Amino acid sequence: MHIPDGFIAPQVYGPAYGVAGVLWTVGLRRLPRLLDPAAIPRLAVATAAAFALMMVTFPLPGGTTVHVTAVGMVAVLFGVWHGFLALSLVFLLQALMFGDGGITALPINALAMGLVGSLAAVGVYRAVRRLHHATALFLAGWVGAVMPAVVVALVLGAQPHLAHDSAGNPLFFPFGWDVTLPAVIVPHLVVGIADGVLVLLAWRALARTDKRADGRTDGRTDQRTDQQTHGRAGDTP
Amino acid sequence: MTFHRHDLLLLLYLLLVVGGTLVHHPLILGAALAATLLSAGRRLGTLARRMARAALPFALAVSLGYVLMARHQLDQAATVLLPLNLRVLLLTALAFRILPAIDLQRALGFSPTLRFVLILATSQVLTFRRLFRDFQDSLTARSPRRVGLLAALRHGAATSAWFLARAEHDATEITQALETRGYFLDRR
Repeated sequence: MHIPDGFIAPQVYGPAYGVAGVLWTVGLRRLPRLLDPAAIPRLAVATAAAFALMMVTFPLPGGTTVHVTAVGMVAVLFGVWHGFLALSLVFLLQALMFGDGGITALPINALAMGLVGSLAAVGVYRAVRRLHHATALFLAGWVGAVMPAVVVALVLGAQPHLAHDSAGNPLFFPFGWDVTLPAVIVPHLVVGIADGVLVLLAWRALARTDKRADGRTDGRTDQRTDQQTHGRAGDTP
Repeated sequence: MTFHRHDLLLLLYLLLVVGGTLVHHPLILGAALAATLLSAGRRLGTLARRMARAALPFALAVSLGYVLMARHQLDQAATVLLPLNLRVLLLTALAFRILPAIDLQRALGFSPTLRFVLILATSQVLTFRRLFRDFQDSLTARSPRRVGLLAALRHGAATSAWFLARAEHDATEITQALETRGYFLDRR
């Protein structure tokens, strides 16, 4: 989903900036008003964690690699609101500091991955966790990768319909939904499995780390306060 | 409201990006691309390499796919792909030409909260990036053969868990440091 500038039409990135801009403004204004003083540092560190998680890659047949989206993990651990803001900041840093992905794709990625992905991941996690916690974690990771892919495929496939010359030739991304839906979604069905497994394994690894930390403190209760964990969508591991 | 060099550069970059997406004539796009590359002077080669590395994988995949689909109408494919690729290259070149000159924290100073979050996030991102590379190098050094899927999954999970634990620890530490300096007093 690292779409360079030039593929998205102004008819699409303009309104996307409008919607995302309202959500960013509301989010940033909310932050300092939250009673929790850790809200801003937690958002900054969630951003860095999301950035680092997106660097985790897996080998594919043929010598290539694929990186996880980390949307499900960030959303489940930090909540929808922090997930949206943190992932938006990741895309901003990637676009403006590291030249990875375009500035015109930023609001689309933020809305697709940060908002839709986070909402879907947290929704699935909350719906399934009472039935089977491990399945809920896996599904949250999987849905967090697949749902944004569906949105991005729909947005990309809309380009030739929205922006074309008088002869009907596309001016921006040239493929319609018949190509974008399978081309973007099918690989993400596989990436979603990696994301799901990663959420599950990382959760278990975190739980082991916490148990070891409890052991080192002679059985004292978890050192983390409610303040540090209340941003999470679910249980603390 | 006063504007500084970094605000103006960011504004200029955004205006050029919007302008670039409103132009569809190959000659204008080509001339703008040439002007952007030539403006780099002695760093033209570096700029061209960075532009190609960032834009070509996606642009080539799209172009080859389109040529294959429209193989019986190559004229029409050229009409579509020439301005599209010139625009993609132009906007990528502009990003690499202008953005390194912008101090993002100063350019986004219109929102103190955003600037504060960005400063914290950037410092953490740079640390995490270095640590991530260290972890990857250690995995490669410990693996006599190419790392398999299972090993990569286990390594990825352990790395992710480590980053999450570290992120939580860092957030606590930063919050405590800010609290002792009275940062939150005027925000409650």
